[in-house]
This record gives sequence, C-alpha cells and structure tokens, in this order.
Amino acid sequence: MKNKADLEKRVNIALDSLNQMERASAPPYFFTRLEARMQKGKTFWEKSTLFLTNPVFSFASITLILLFNIYVIASSPDENNITQQDNELATIDEYNQVSSTLFDFENIKP
Amino acid sequence: MEERELIKQLKQRDRDAFKSLVDTWQNMVFNTAIGLLQNEEDAEDTAQEVFIQVFESIDTFKEESKLSTWIYRITVSKAMDHIRRKKTKKRFSFLMSLFKEDGQVMIEPPDFLHPGVKLENKENAKALFKALDKLPPNQKTAFVLNKMEGLSYQETSEIMEISNSATDSLLQRARQNLKKELRNQFESIND
Repeated sequence: MKNKADLEKRVNIALDSLNQMERASAPPYFFTRLEARMQKGKTFWEKSTLFLTNPVFSFASITLILLFNIYVIASSPDENNITQQDNELATIDEYNQVSSTLFDFENIKP
Repeated sequence: MEERELIKQLKQRDRDAFKSLVDTWQNMVFNTAIGLLQNEEDAEDTAQEVFIQVFESIDTFKEESKLSTWIYRITVSKAMDHIRRKKTKKRFSFLMSLFKEDGQVMIEPPDFLHPGVKLENKENAKALFKALDKLPPNQKTAFVLNKMEGLSYQETSEIMEISNSATDSLLQRARQNLKKELRNQFESIND
C-alpha cells in the first residue's frame, strides 16, 4: 500500500516538474541563419515535394491516368466477337463436329 | 509596430518588418517546436520553416485571427509534418536494415532534456517528456500549448480550431495518459 502511495506521489511530482520550467529561447544568430537559408533557396527534396503536391501536377496526373484507361478500354478487342467465337466452339463441341478420337478416325464411312 | 502595420509591410516584402516579426516571435515558435519535437536541432529547423512559410504566404493571411494564432497554427502543423517525416524515415531505415548484411537501424536519440528544466527536476522531466512523446498528436499539442507555452484554454482552442470544452477534454485525457505512462515507467525501474 505504501509502495502504491509512493508511486502516485512520484507520478504527481513528475507531472508538476514542468511548473517551474523556463521557456526555451531560439539559438543565437537565428535570424542570420534563417536569412541564409532563404537566400540559398529550397533543397532538391523540398522542390520535389512542392512539385509533387502541386494541385496542377496532381490533376494532370489523374487526367493522364484516366485518358490511358479510356484508351486501353477503347482499343481492346470487341467483346461481342469473342462471345460469338465462344458460341461457335460450343456448337462444334456439342454436335461432335470435330473428329478427334481414334474411334472416329478408324470408322470413317465411305 | 502595430500588428496591422506590420502585416502591411510584410505584404510589401519589407526586410525590416520581417526581422521585427522574427525577433518578436522566434522564442515562442522555438519553445513550441521543441516541446513537440523534443530535439533542439529539429526545433530550429522547424522554426526556420515556419518563418519561411509566414514570409511566403502572408498574402493569404486574412486577418480573421490574431497574427500570433496564425503563426502558432503554422508551427504546430510544421512540427507534426516533421514528426511524420521522421517516422517514415525510421520505418524506411528499418526496412533497409533487413536487406543489408551490416543492417544498422537508425539510432534512437537519448532521453530529451528541455533546456529550461531546473537541475533538481532533471530526472522527473526526462520521464515526463518520454511519456509526452507517446501521447496522440492532438493531446500532445494541447498539453504543450497549455502547459509549456503557458497559453489559456481560449488561446489553445483558437490555435487548434476546437471548442473550449474539447480542449478541456483533450487536456484531461492527456493528463490521465501521462499518469498511466509515468506509472509504467517507474514500476519498470523498481522491478
């Protein structure tokens, strides 16, 4: 029980440890370094991120993907034609129009 | 310089106005960033990013809120971006380490100690910052703004764009979670 009370006391002391804390100050010559960074311009990664997150780029990419999809769908073979071919093959199979067994070859009627 | 006049001059890209803005707000931005990021170098880097953003997007500032509120919002947003980038980098480093023979994962920095903490509170503050780092982002933000930056509920709510009751609830949950985490830390030391 005493341990639990000690633990709670320690937790509360830790929580209050920020009460007397002083504020952190920016390092010396902060403005000089900031100005130097601004004059240097953006790094490659910052430029890349800005370019990729640019709404114009995102919109253009989506449009391009959509156009490519439309092109792929439009240029794919006619589905009706494939169905027709499937039907023809099914008819041939159903009426045994293909002589493919040995029995068929040996019993050809004149 | 009056705030409206300062904004007007900033919109004209006046260097002295920008220097005045940085001089006025650099400690506020740095203190908030260091509380959220728990690393002095990252905090300085983020503080620089904040002022660059302020300089570049001052034209979009509509003066519906105070300038300080707007700068705080940018600071929180930039700090959160920094945390996300760091997490992604850490995950990537872990993945890369799996494919390398001498695979080294990014080294965890030692426990953070805020430069403003008094010597006698050093160990307790270290434990508290460790616990703070495990809080969800919105609870962490509310706690840093209210407890470390010393802002009122009203100011914290305006920055986070939530109601006062939501801020109150966030702070209560943050305190409960911090207590829970601190208990775990101290119990594991005693074991």
